[in-house]
Amino acid sequence: MNKFMGNRLAIALFVLPAMLLYSVVVFWPVVQTFYRSMFDWDGLSAGTFIGLDNFKELFQDDLFWLSVKNGLIFAAVIAVFQIGVGSLLAFGVAEAHIKGRKWLRISYFIPVVLSVTVVCQLWIAVYNGDNGLLNKLFEFLGLSYRQDWLSDPKVAIYAIAAVNAWQFMGYHFALLYAGVKSIPPAFHEAAKIDGASKFRAHLMITIPLMRETYRFCLIFAITGGLNAFAQMFIMSGGGPGTSTYTLTYLMYRSAFRINEFGYGSASATILVIECLLVTLLINRLVARERIIY
Amino acid sequence: MFRKTGSLLLALSLTLGLAACGSNNDKSNESSASPSSSASATTPASESAQASESTEPVKLRIYAQYAGEDSELPYDYAVAELKKEMPNIELELDIQAQDDGQKLKTYAATGNLPDIFQAGQDIISTFKESGNILQLDQYVDSTGFRDAILPSTQNTLVSDDGHTYAFPYAGNEMILLFYNKEIFEQYGVAVPTTFDEWKTAVDTFNKNKITPLSVFAKEKWPDVALFDIFATRFDEGGVLKLDKGQAKASDENYRKAAEKLSEFVKAGLLAKGATSMNYDQAAAMFYQGKAAMFLNGQWEIDAATKAMGDKVAWMYYPAADAASVETSKLTFSGGGGPGGYAVSAHTKNPELTAKVAAFLSRKYAEYKYTQYGTPIVATKVDKPIEKAYPPMMEELSKAIPNMKTTAFAWGLSNPRFKAAIEDASQALLAGSSVDQFVKAVDKALEK
Amino acid sequence: MRTFANFRKSQPILQLSMWIYALISIYPLIWMVFYSLKNNDEIFVTNPFGFPTKFHFENYEAAWKSFKVPVYFMNSVIVSCMAVFGAVALAVLFAYAAARMRWRFQDTARIYMLIGLFIPVQVIMIPLAVLMRDFHLVNSLFSLIVPYIAFNLSFTTMVFYGFFRTIPLELEESACMDGASIYRTFFSIMLPIIRPAIATMIIFVFLAAWNEFPIALIMISKETLKTLPLGLLFFQGQFTTDWGAMGAAMTIASLPTVLVYVFFSEQVENALTVDAAVKG
Repeated sequence: MNKFMGNRLAIALFVLPAMLLYSVVVFWPVVQTFYRSMFDWDGLSAGTFIGLDNFKELFQDDLFWLSVKNGLIFAAVIAVFQIGVGSLLAFGVAEAHIKGRKWLRISYFIPVVLSVTVVCQLWIAVYNGDNGLLNKLFEFLGLSYRQDWLSDPKVAIYAIAAVNAWQFMGYHFALLYAGVKSIPPAFHEAAKIDGASKFRAHLMITIPLMRETYRFCLIFAITGGLNAFAQMFIMSGGGPGTSTYTLTYLMYRSAFRINEFGYGSASATILVIECLLVTLLINRLVARERIIY
Repeated sequence: MFRKTGSLLLALSLTLGLAACGSNNDKSNESSASPSSSASATTPASESAQASESTEPVKLRIYAQYAGEDSELPYDYAVAELKKEMPNIELELDIQAQDDGQKLKTYAATGNLPDIFQAGQDIISTFKESGNILQLDQYVDSTGFRDAILPSTQNTLVSDDGHTYAFPYAGNEMILLFYNKEIFEQYGVAVPTTFDEWKTAVDTFNKNKITPLSVFAKEKWPDVALFDIFATRFDEGGVLKLDKGQAKASDENYRKAAEKLSEFVKAGLLAKGATSMNYDQAAAMFYQGKAAMFLNGQWEIDAATKAMGDKVAWMYYPAADAASVETSKLTFSGGGGPGGYAVSAHTKNPELTAKVAAFLSRKYAEYKYTQYGTPIVATKVDKPIEKAYPPMMEELSKAIPNMKTTAFAWGLSNPRFKAAIEDASQALLAGSSVDQFVKAVDKALEK
Repeated sequence: MRTFANFRKSQPILQLSMWIYALISIYPLIWMVFYSLKNNDEIFVTNPFGFPTKFHFENYEAAWKSFKVPVYFMNSVIVSCMAVFGAVALAVLFAYAAARMRWRFQDTARIYMLIGLFIPVQVIMIPLAVLMRDFHLVNSLFSLIVPYIAFNLSFTTMVFYGFFRTIPLELEESACMDGASIYRTFFSIMLPIIRPAIATMIIFVFLAAWNEFPIALIMISKETLKTLPLGLLFFQGQFTTDWGAMGAAMTIASLPTVLVYVFFSEQVENALTVDAAVKG
């Protein structure tokens, strides 16, 4: 068996094509970014090596800390919403007596299918302080709460995060649903016989069994949140003012608006390190034993 | 079930196979064409200049604005004229994206720059530094472009370093405060000449549920322009003086301007949610009579006249106080700078390409002049205007000769300052404090 | 009896809320179609959410005239299919080796592959463009296909890895006993088991490639090589945007994917059901 699973040639054949392509196309440019983060460079000319000066400056830049904070807010909103709602819906749809399961499943995934531009335009309209749906909803419910969702520096980042959270919930739904479905029904039968409630059964049995699925959902959601760019770009341009800057947006601004490519690369470097730390942390927290049904 | 999925996969992979063949062909064509092109790149300039006189077909790549009538019509006109003048030139258009120069800069980084591209302040300075943009001084003379340029638009031709890097077509444009005459009359508001009167007007409109001023503040340059309107009332240098490092935001005049603007914002100058409004929303507000004033460049005159006829006019910016009305009235926010059609430093035949670029610029301006009724172009046009000036333009053309301008945000030369004042102005409009504004701007100026 | 009680107690509310959420999810699709038939005034001021008061079919005309929809469409199909094929094939092989086989540095290799998830594509755009030039892929669809495959590897390997790890080891043990080779074991035992994951990843990668804009914008300049998302370029001017026509372009680009998804999701569901039955 050891020899069987340790077949060198097979491992090489399986691993190398992916590794090779990935190393050249993804990792090599990243290495260059790391390298360039130590330059005073406009992206085109030769540039001067300045060591860690970009990082020193970055750590003293208020905008950097604001961007880090916003990225964490963004990631948290996304992770909680997507995995929370995704789990509820996945468990719900997997219920035996749900009607129209097929259409429910398809609907939940529709926002993912649409382009980010469409979804952002829709939400810009929904958030409109004047004639937006959201304020109308509050009006309808008889609440006096009104909000300029995208124009209030304190609220805007949450509003934009919500759009991303909502649009890509479908990914998590699909993954979690596939996860629930691959748990043999015997487990649920067992829980039923024990007289456990649905809620308890999921909490005690399904979720622990789906540890692997939850792990990649978490990594996917959090790194996706830290990396978000398109939504800021379309909905707020980082504004009002600088209130919805994230590291990605800061990087974009430094590189292309200010022509400080080195500085932009430095914020990208920090972003990659941040994501890596989060991933390792998640791996550590979500235990690693092999699950066998 | 799996069989079905399997057959689908098979179908997919078949498509892939076909596709792969298709793309391969394409590639081989490409590479077979390249040796000849690299060979001609090494031909001495004089020889290739002779070649250009012949009718040998020449293909040039051009990267330009081409979305919406504003840019499509003048471009199409210029290309049609070029066909008549130099039938051997074929232009291959690559439409410019609204991407902060990302694509053009990538082109430069990969040595794949189009022969002609539209360049503004930002592109000129980075490309100059990295040797990607052709210095056009000799061609400005040889093409007769220098003689065509208007005395008032010399500033659009020559960069800080005294050289020319692009053939300009736009003149010195400026920000106008448009207003709805009917609404002003309806609420008995006179056109304000001072901040105090303006403030009263704002209060009156707010009382009557009319938005005083419509600004598409989601884009950041109108926000800078609004600040600049206030700044120029206190110091005629406006943002340009900050850009050149001759002033700081903490200087008394600039601080006062920020405070005044902040005061107006708090009094309800702008619509709720203005900082998330795009042009189309802000313009619709004004044209549908929901806003009394509208801030945009003078290029809006045409559309405004079409939408509102004689119900719309522009006003001189209100002055800081009654004493300075006359002295500050002719200082406008906006202005032109070096920019226009530029030529790649790596183009095969610089002389020919420069000639084409210069020609396109002049024709572009010609179209705007004859068809859009705007005198605000960079070069003289010897063709008659086909459409008479709208009254607002008539009025403006009287003011132009003695007008002083500053700069639009996109014409600022210090990118760090530009980014900072864009963000800070928008933040100010969203209600953040004057102290934050001053701090952010001064920090960017320090470096 | 118990299930019946359960049904009465909780299902109606559960069902109702699930359907409400479903409606909220479909609404953007409908909204997009409405949007594509409106003019700027209606979109922003008079009627942002409702049924168009007058059908502005000229938006579709404008979209159809501005860019070559069939050409862009074909390019999108080619690029997306090849990206799907490449990414899924490479990822499933890698993930299997990382999850089931034994070799040094396998954890490191797995984490290494994950880094692709952390990269904002804007920052590596220039190095990537230089790379494509050096490989002489510029001006071919491969300048999109290759990056799309590479960038989708991180996520797909992560998902496949997760799925492989939930499969009992006994499967391979008995295959080994029976004298099957590792390749045979992989292709005829393991692959069928993770079918649901493969189907899911086909959808994910396809959508990612189909909707991708930033890389396509930078890499492609030839008319004949453009993909559908680049059609948006024709409507976003320096100052104004023709939003209705942009909506039409987006509708043209999105509807096919909705159809592909509806078709494919059935395959996923069926694969899942069969799978659960087998395992149970």
